[in-house]
Amino acid sequence: MNLDKLKKHFPWITLVVLAIFVGLLDPNFLRPENLLQLAGDISTLFIMALGITFVIYIGGIDLSAQSVANMTTVLATLLLPLMGGFAALACIAIGAVFGLVSGFVSTRLKVPSFIATLAVGGVALSVGQYASGQKALYMDAAMREQAFGWMTGNIAGLPREMLIAAVLLVIGLVIERRMVVGRVLKAIGAGELAASASGLNVDRYKMIAFSMSGACAAIAGLLFAVKLSGGSPVIANGFLLPAIVAVLVGGTPLTGGVGGVLNTAIGALIVAVVRTSMLYLDVPATAQQIFFGLVLIVAIALTIDRSKVRTVK
Amino acid sequence: MLSLPNRDELQKWTPVLVLVALIIFFTVVNPNFLSLRNFARVGISATPPLMIAVGTTFIVIMGSIDLSMEGAVAVCAVVFAYIFMALGGTLDGWAWIAIPACCLVGAVFGLINGIVHVALRIPSFMASLSMGFVGIGLSLVMTGGDRIRVEDPIFRALLTERYLGFPLMVHVALLVLVAAWFIQSHTTLGRNFYAVGGGEDLAHASGLNVRRVRIIGFALAGIFYAIGSLFAVAQIGIAETATGYNFMFVAITSIVVGGTALWGGSGGVWNTLVGVLIVNVINNGMIVMGLPRYIQDGVLGVLVIIAVVLSTDRKSLAFVK
Amino acid sequence: MFELRKVEKNFPNVRALKGIDFRIERGEIIGLVGENGAGKSTLMKIIYGAYQHDGGEVLIDGKAVRFENPRQAMQKGIGMVFQEQSLIGNLSVMENIFLGFEQQFVRFGVVNWKKMAAAARFQLAKVKLKIDPKTITSKLSFAQRQLVELAKVLTLEERVDGDLVILLDEPTSVLAKEEVELLFRLVRELRSRASFIFVSHRLDEVLELADRIYVMKDGEVVDHVVSTEAVAENIQRRMVGRDIDKEYYREEKQRPYLPEKVLVELDKVSLPGKYYDISLKLHAGEVLTLVGVEGSGREAILRSIFGLQRPLFGTISIKGDRVRSFNARNSVARGVGYIPRERKVEGIVSGMSVYENITLSQLRNYSSAGFLKIPKEKATAREWISKLHIKAPSEYADCGHLSGGNQQKVVLSKWRSGGSDIILLDHPTRGLDIGAKEDVYDMVRAMNADGAGIILIADTLEEAIGLSHTIAVIKDGKIQKQFDCKQGARPSLFDLVHYMI
Repeated sequence: MNLDKLKKHFPWITLVVLAIFVGLLDPNFLRPENLLQLAGDISTLFIMALGITFVIYIGGIDLSAQSVANMTTVLATLLLPLMGGFAALACIAIGAVFGLVSGFVSTRLKVPSFIATLAVGGVALSVGQYASGQKALYMDAAMREQAFGWMTGNIAGLPREMLIAAVLLVIGLVIERRMVVGRVLKAIGAGELAASASGLNVDRYKMIAFSMSGACAAIAGLLFAVKLSGGSPVIANGFLLPAIVAVLVGGTPLTGGVGGVLNTAIGALIVAVVRTSMLYLDVPATAQQIFFGLVLIVAIALTIDRSKVRTVK
Repeated sequence: MLSLPNRDELQKWTPVLVLVALIIFFTVVNPNFLSLRNFARVGISATPPLMIAVGTTFIVIMGSIDLSMEGAVAVCAVVFAYIFMALGGTLDGWAWIAIPACCLVGAVFGLINGIVHVALRIPSFMASLSMGFVGIGLSLVMTGGDRIRVEDPIFRALLTERYLGFPLMVHVALLVLVAAWFIQSHTTLGRNFYAVGGGEDLAHASGLNVRRVRIIGFALAGIFYAIGSLFAVAQIGIAETATGYNFMFVAITSIVVGGTALWGGSGGVWNTLVGVLIVNVINNGMIVMGLPRYIQDGVLGVLVIIAVVLSTDRKSLAFVK
Repeated sequence: MFELRKVEKNFPNVRALKGIDFRIERGEIIGLVGENGAGKSTLMKIIYGAYQHDGGEVLIDGKAVRFENPRQAMQKGIGMVFQEQSLIGNLSVMENIFLGFEQQFVRFGVVNWKKMAAAARFQLAKVKLKIDPKTITSKLSFAQRQLVELAKVLTLEERVDGDLVILLDEPTSVLAKEEVELLFRLVRELRSRASFIFVSHRLDEVLELADRIYVMKDGEVVDHVVSTEAVAENIQRRMVGRDIDKEYYREEKQRPYLPEKVLVELDKVSLPGKYYDISLKLHAGEVLTLVGVEGSGREAILRSIFGLQRPLFGTISIKGDRVRSFNARNSVARGVGYIPRERKVEGIVSGMSVYENITLSQLRNYSSAGFLKIPKEKATAREWISKLHIKAPSEYADCGHLSGGNQQKVVLSKWRSGGSDIILLDHPTRGLDIGAKEDVYDMVRAMNADGAGIILIADTLEEAIGLSHTIAVIKDGKIQKQFDCKQGARPSLFDLVHYMI
C-alpha cells in the first residue's frame, strides 16, 4: 500500500489514535455516554462545517458562515414569537439567500470567494447587529419549548442534536453521492475546465454549493440559539476556525475535488476529541486557538493538491 | 486640447473623485462635517488602519493577501504594553525600548507568516488567516483576557498633543506613509513587489528570487502592523486582544476601494491613503448623520464587492475560485 | 563557437531530440525550421537553459557546459527573445530591461533612477528604439515591446565576457510587414554584437535572413543548408517528408459523406484578430480538417463552433438552426462534442472514475428528479469500455490514472454515448503512441459510418490528408484553399504546405 492510498485513511486513523490516547489519559473518556455527549456537543460545529465542505469541495472557501450563524441566532429569537416553529424555515431560507449572494458575487462578478464571503459576512454581521439592537436577546421559555423543544434533550439516550446532525449528514451524503448536484460539484472541484467543456452550467452549481453552505450555517445558528435560549450578534464567534479545521483535517483539501461530508464528520470528531484532550491536559482554553491555527496550517499543507495551483499566491 | 480620459486614467482617479464626492455629500447633509475638529476626528480614527492597510498594500501589490493583521496587531500591542510597563511605564525612562521591540515582534510575526506561505506553499489567504488565529490565541494566552493600561502621558501625547489642529499621531503616520512610499518607489524591494505582482513567472525567469521577495514583503507588512498597533494603543490607552479587532475588514476594504487591484501589480500606498480616508469618511459621515455605527460592516461589505468588481478586467480572467 | 554534439532529450514515453548536431559561429544568423512538434522548441529550451540535455554535449568555444537554469545560460552570453513576451506590463521599460540586475544602480538600498534611465537609453539605442525608458511597458505596441525584449537580452553584452548568442522565437508572427523589415535590418546590423538563432514558421523569412538553415523533423536534424543555395520547395519536402501508409489511416474505410445533410454551416464568420470571412460546411459522415500553422486561427474557429468564443460577424448554424447564444451548454445540447487538445485539463476530470466521466455531459439522461441512476451509468460505461477496448481495470478506475490513449477513448465515449453527432477533434492523437493513434483513426471512421460529422485539427499533415474528406487550409485567419480529398486523389503534403506558409 503506497502513501497516496494511505493518505485517504489518515483522518479516521488520526481519530482512532487520538481517542485511544485520550482514553489512556482517562478511561472514563471512552465510556459510551461520554462519547455520545461529545458527539452531541460537536453537532452544531459539525453542521456549519458540513456546509463549508461543499464550498471547499469546489475549491472555494466560505468565511461568512460564522457571521451568518450569528445573524441567525438573532433572527431566530426575534422570529420565534411571530412565526413559531416556522421561524426555523425562515432562518434556513435567509441563510441560503446569503449563501446564494456569496455565490453570485463569486461566480458572476468574479470576486475571489474569500473576499466575496468576507464581504457578505460583513453584511450579515450588520443585519445581526441591527436586528438585535446590539444586545443579547432571550427566547420565551414556553414558546421555545413548544416550537423548538424537539431539538434539545435526549431521545433513547441519544442527544437530539446529534440525531439532527446525523440526519443532515445523511442528506449531505445523498446529495454528494447520489444526486446530480453532488456529481457536478465533484467535477468542478476536480477539473472545472473539463466540467464546463462538458456543457455543464458551472456557475449555477457553484451558487448552489454556496447556498447550501449558507443554509447549513443558519441551521447551526438556529441550534445554537435554541440551546442557549437566545441570540446575540457575537454569540457564535470562535466557530469559524474549528469549522474550517474540521473540513480540512477530515481530508477535503483546499483545492477541492476529493473528500466530502463524511470526511468532515470525522474531522469534526477529531476537533471534539482534541478539545477534550486539552481539558485533560490542562491546556487553557485560550491556547486552543493557537493550536487549531497551527493544525489548520499543517492540514492545508498536507492535503493541498499542488498540481492544481500553478503559482501559489 | 481636451481628450476623453481612457479607462486607465479613469480608474486611477476614481477613488479620489469618490472621496471628494463623499465629503461634499456629507457636508451638504450636515455642515458640521466640514470642520477641522471633525477632520481631526477622521484623522485619528484613520491612523491605525492606515498603517495596517499600508503594510497589507505591499502584499496585495504582489498579488497575495494577508489576513493575519488582527492577530499580528493583538500580539504587537500586548507585547509592547508588557515591555513598556516592565521598563518603567514611561517614555521618560527605558520604556522606549518597547517601541523598537514591538516593531521587531511585528517583523518576526510577518516573517513566520511569509515562511509558512512560501515554504509550505499554502495560498496566502489561508496561511495568513491561520496565522491570524494563532496570533489572537497567543495574545489571549499572554493576557489571560485582561487589558493592560498604558497611561504614560508622554506616549499618549501621540493623541493629546495637537499641531495644526491634528494630533501628533496623524503627523507621525504621514511620515511613516512617506517612508512607505519611498520603499515602494525607490528601493529594489519595492519595485520587486510590482514585478512579482505583474508577472510572477516572468520575474522568476528574469532571475528574481521571488520566494525571498515574498517573505520579506510579509515581514515588512508586519512592521507596519506593529506601528499600527502602537497608534491603536496610544488612542485608547489600553492594549488587549481586542486591539486588533476589525482591522482585517477595514484594511482590505481600504486597499481595494483605494484602487489597488487584488490581482497585484498596480496601485500603491497613496491609493491606500485615499481608500482609508474613504472608509473613515463614510464611517464618520454616518455618525454625523446620526446613523448607527453597526451599519459599517454591511456598508464596507458592499463597498468591497463594488470596488473589486470595478477594478477587475473580467475578460482577462478565465475563472476565479 | 557554440556547438551541440549528439544532444539527446527524453521525456516520459517520448524521445524528443535524437542526436542533434548544431553549431553557430560568431556573427552568424542561423535559421531553424520544422513543423509543430518537430523538436524546435525543445532544442531551444536546451540552448537557453530551460531544459537540461540527457545525452551528448553542449560546447562553448570547445568547452563542455551545462546550464541548470536560464540565468546560468545568460551568464555565458545566451539570451532568449520570447514569442510570448517576457516583459512585465506594469513595470517601466527600464525596470524590465534591468529586472533582476538592478543592483548596479542601487546605493544604500535606494535605486538611482536617473542612472538606470541613462543605461536603459544606451540599450534602447542599440535597437534604435526612441522611447522614454520610464514609459510603462504595457503602453507600448507589440513591435516596440519586442525591441525592448531584444534590448534586454543585449544587456548581456556588457555583463558577460565572450560572445552572445540570441534566440529569436517566432519574432515575426504578430508583426506587420514593415515591422518585420525593420526587425530584419536591425538583426543584420547587430551581427557585429551577437549571433542569432532565428526560429520561424515562415520559410520565406528564414531564407531571407539566415546564413544557414537547419531543418528539423521528428526530433532530428534532417537537413542543413546554406541559404544562398537553398530551394524553398526542397526544404518544405524535408520538413514534412515521410511515406504515408494508407492502411495506417484506415483510408479503405472512408465512405462518401451525405452532401444533403448539413450539420454545421459557417457563413462569412469573422472574429477580427483571429479569423476572417470563414465559410464552411460540415456534412454527416464527413471529416473536415482545418490545416494551418499554430496561430493561423484554426483553434479559434473550433472554439467558436463549440460556443466558447462568440464571432463578431457572420452566422454559425448547427443543423439548420442559427446559433445565437454562444456557450458550451447550448452547443452540447445541440449535439456538439469537443475533444480538446488539453486532454488532462479540459477533456477528462482526473480524480473521477470512468463512468462518472462518461456521463458528465449527459447527466440529465442518467437521473430523475436530481437523483442519479448509477447502475445505468455503470452499464453504459461498461458497454463503451468493451466497445472501444478501453484498457481500464473497471468502470470505477480513476481516469487520471489511465494512459493517454485510454483517456482519449473515455472522452470520445462521453460524447458518443450521449448521441453527439458533431465531433470537434483538436489534436486527438497528440502524445499518443502508434497503437493508440490507430484506435483513434478507427473511431473516426466508425463515427462517420454512424452519420457523425467531424471537424479535425490534425497533429500532422499526413494525418490530415489520410483522414479527411475535405481540407481547408488556413493562413493568417483566412481560408486559402479548400481541397476535396477523394480516395486516390488526395492532395500532397507539398500542396498543403504551399498554402500554409
